[in-house]
Amino acid sequence: MFRHTPLRYAALIVLFSGAVFTAFTAGYFGMEILTEILILAILVLALDLVAGFGGMVSLAHGALMGLGAYAFVALATKGGLDPVVAAAAAIAITAGTGWIIGAICARSHGIYFIMATLAFGQMGYSYFFERPFFGGDDGMVGPGRFDLSFIGVDLNDGRSFALFCLALLGLVYLIAVATLRSGLGRSLTGVMHNEKRMRALGLTVWRVKADVFGISGAMAGLAGVLAAQHIMFISPKMLHWTVSGEALVVVILGGLGTLVGPLIGAVAFVVLKHELSHVTTYWHLIVGLVLIAVVMSRANGIFGFIEARFGPRTDRMIQSIQTRDDAKEAVKDA
Amino acid sequence: MLETRNLDKSFGAVHVTRNVSLKLERGERRVILGPNGAGKTTLFNQLVGEITPDKGQILLAGEDVTNLPVARRARRGLSRSYQKNTLFDGLTVEENLALAASVHAGVAMTLWRDALQSPQVREIVEEVAEQVNLMPHIHAKVSEISYGVRRQLEVGVALATKPLVLLMDEPTSGVGPEMAKGFHDLLAGLPRDLTLLIIEHDMDLAFAVADTITVLNYGEVVFDGLPEEARGSKLLRDIYLGAWEDA
Repeated sequence: MFRHTPLRYAALIVLFSGAVFTAFTAGYFGMEILTEILILAILVLALDLVAGFGGMVSLAHGALMGLGAYAFVALATKGGLDPVVAAAAAIAITAGTGWIIGAICARSHGIYFIMATLAFGQMGYSYFFERPFFGGDDGMVGPGRFDLSFIGVDLNDGRSFALFCLALLGLVYLIAVATLRSGLGRSLTGVMHNEKRMRALGLTVWRVKADVFGISGAMAGLAGVLAAQHIMFISPKMLHWTVSGEALVVVILGGLGTLVGPLIGAVAFVVLKHELSHVTTYWHLIVGLVLIAVVMSRANGIFGFIEARFGPRTDRMIQSIQTRDDAKEAVKDA
Repeated sequence: MLETRNLDKSFGAVHVTRNVSLKLERGERRVILGPNGAGKTTLFNQLVGEITPDKGQILLAGEDVTNLPVARRARRGLSRSYQKNTLFDGLTVEENLALAASVHAGVAMTLWRDALQSPQVREIVEEVAEQVNLMPHIHAKVSEISYGVRRQLEVGVALATKPLVLLMDEPTSGVGPEMAKGFHDLLAGLPRDLTLLIIEHDMDLAFAVADTITVLNYGEVVFDGLPEEARGSKLLRDIYLGAWEDA
C-alpha cells in the first residue's frame, strides 16, 4: 500500500524546489534539459504505477507515449482540431489502448507479460514506421504549443513551458497517489501481493489490471503530447522498445514502487546522459555500470538506498518532535 | 446450500475424487476427515473453481456453478481459507480484512475514494475483527503478528467477503493446543446461518464443532453421518481414527 513518509515529503519538496529554481535561473539548454526531465518523469510515473505497484513490467510504455504524440499531432494538423481538444482526444486514445493492452496481457505473468507488451509496442512502432499518412520514417511536424494567452501565459517561452510541464507532472503525481489510495489501487496492491487470493475473494483480477493500465496509458499519452509540443517534431523512434527500456531503467535506478524514486531516477538519468555525452559517446555504458551498481547494492534504487539509510532516523526525529510538542501542550494544559 | 453430485477428478492415472456427492444444508457445519492424500484439499479446489472436475456438478444455493470461474463463485457467496496462509504480508491486519470486505461492498474498483473509508467496509472489518479476535492486532502488519494470529486472520479474510458458505482448510494447521481451543470458541461464535465445511485433523475440534462428518479415503466418501456415529464406526477407526483413539 502506498504511504507517504516524512522522507518522501522531503524528497518531493527538494525536487519541486529544485525544478522551480532551475526554471528561474537556467539558460536555454538548462531549460531544455529541465523540460526533458519533467516529460520523462511523467512517463516513468506512469510505468511505476503498473510495474512498481501491480507487478506489470511493461515494454509498451514508449509506444503508448509515441501513440499519444502521433494522435495529438495527427488530430491537430490533419484533423484540424484545436490543440487542447486534440491533446484530450490523444490522451483518451492512449487510455483506451492501454486498457486493451492491459486486458489482453493481464492473464500472463513475468517474462511472458514483458514479451506480450514488447510485442504490442513493436507493432505500434512498425505501424507508424510504415504508414505514409503519419510521415513514415520521416515523422511529422507538430502543431504549435497550447495557446494559454487568455491567462497571460506564453508557452512558446521555454520557462513557461517548463513550468507548465512541472504543473502537469504535479497533477499526474497526485492522480497516481489518488489511484493507489482508491479501492482500485488497494485491489491492485492485493493482486501484486497475492493474485490467487484476490481472485478467491471475488475480485475480477484482469479488470483491475486493465483499468490501472488504462490510467497509466493516459499518463504516458500526456507525456507524448508534451514531448510533441516540446520538440515540435515526432518520429517512429518515440515508439521503439528502447524508449520503454530506458524508462524501465529510470524506474529501477530511482526506486521501483515508490513514485518518488522514479522522479529522482529521471533527474539522475537525464543529467548523467547530458553530462556524460560531452565526455564520451559511450555514455550508455557508464549508465549501465551505474545501474548494475544500484541493482547489486540490493537497495531499491537510489531512493530505496536513501530510505534504508535515513528513513528510520527521520521517523525517529519526527516522533521525538511530536512527543516534545505533546509534552509542551500537556504542561500548558496543566 | 452447497451440493456436489457425482464429482469426479483424475490426474492421469491417479483418481483423486471418486463420485463424491455431498449435500450441506444452510447453517450446517460439516467436517471432512481423511488421511493425507485422501483428496480433501483437491475437493475444496474443485468446489471453489481452482480445479475443474472431470465429471459431476456443483450447486451453490440451488444454482449450478460448476463452470463458473473462481471470482464469480466467490461473489455468489463461496469463500475459503487456505491450509497455508495466503495473506498480504506488507499490509496491516485492517488492510487485509478491508481488501476482502471491499470486494463484497462493491468498492474494490472505485477510483474516487479510499475503500478503507467506506462505511460498509469499515463495518465489516470491525465485525470480522471482533469475530476472529483480531481487534488487539488491527493496526499491526502481518509480518509483526504471531503464526497463530495469522491463522485467525486467514479465516478473517475469508469471512470478510460475507460468504454463504465458508470452506476452511485445516484452520488450526500448525497451531498449539491452546490456540486450537481458541479456534473452537471462534468457530462456535460464527453466525449460525453460515454454512461451514471444514477440513480438520484436530479430532477434538472436529467432533466439537461438527454437525455432520464426512470421511474421504482415496478420493471416495466412505462415511457420511453424525459425529456420534463416526466415533463408533469401525471402518472409520480402521482407516483414520485408530491412531487418535490409541493416543
